[in-house]
Amino acid sequence: MNLSEAGEARVRGYLFVLGQSLKSFLPRAVVMDAVQELESHIRERIDEAEAEPDERAALERVLQEIGMPQRVAQAYSAEITIEEAITTGRLLPTARAFWNLATTSLLGFFPALGLLFGYMLGFASLLTALLKPIFPNNAGMLVVDGVPRGFGVFSEIPPGGEMSGGYWIIPILIAVGLAILIITQHSATRFLVWWRARRGRPDVLPGWSV
Amino acid sequence: MKKKSTEVNDPLDKWREQLRRGGLELAILLSVSSTSRYGLEIIRYLQESTDLVVTEGTIYPILGRLTRSGVVEAEWVSDETPHPRKYYRLSQRGRKNLDEMLDHWNAYRSKIDHLVETAGRI
Repeated sequence: MNLSEAGEARVRGYLFVLGQSLKSFLPRAVVMDAVQELESHIRERIDEAEAEPDERAALERVLQEIGMPQRVAQAYSAEITIEEAITTGRLLPTARAFWNLATTSLLGFFPALGLLFGYMLGFASLLTALLKPIFPNNAGMLVVDGVPRGFGVFSEIPPGGEMSGGYWIIPILIAVGLAILIITQHSATRFLVWWRARRGRPDVLPGWSV
Repeated sequence: MKKKSTEVNDPLDKWREQLRRGGLELAILLSVSSTSRYGLEIIRYLQESTDLVVTEGTIYPILGRLTRSGVVEAEWVSDETPHPRKYYRLSQRGRKNLDEMLDHWNAYRSKIDHLVETAGRI
């Protein structure tokens, strides 16, 4: 079926939305390849619908069966980012996978929040260790009137307050910071493995006679 | 009565779903093991030969992942139709993976068959 101008515009619009949705999570080359493949698929399906007289109805049916571009993009993004995070175990792909989950599902939002907290705590410990030799009276544990009030680097020490701990806290902070980061990263990967197993290979529709 | 029926069916539906998901990757690899196929062709092939209905939003991300991991090879062919088609075929590495998967599959199936036989359910 040769599409009319309106039909072509509809296909281009669909692919544009798909491309824009994919761009948020995936590298440019992957996005271009995915969009090109979906376009090929759509045109293949349109060719199959050649016998149908109503172009608009046939095209809408094809696009409806493929699904909303945002949903297709979501499946692509989830599959690719989660896979990359699990196989590489690197920080950036993990953060990207969690960003994807947090922005597309409620169940992914709270673990992402926990992950953010873990990374911040880990990096804060390392940063405090790094700044302790430079600002010995401002980095460490803040104790006010004998009660611990906070931990980190403080620009001002309140009256009655003092920084507890000498330089000996540096190796402890480094060890604690690294431990928190490793545990957080390990937990994140475990969660992604669980998430992938839970999702399985998504959207397999009923109909397989087992 | 209706509630009881739902309680009985839900775990069964979940089990069927898990079984389908577990078999999907093997089914995809088998579909491109003997010949190159493009996305829609794989969907149709699975539908016709196994009743496994797979959506586009499922198959292409999986094919993309299998390509990136080197299990399948992809090639754009532009001289067959007015629009180019992306063909997938099993790579050498994929062939080894598939052999291992089939070994596991056959071993698992024969064990389950044995259990079924022992339980006198055949």
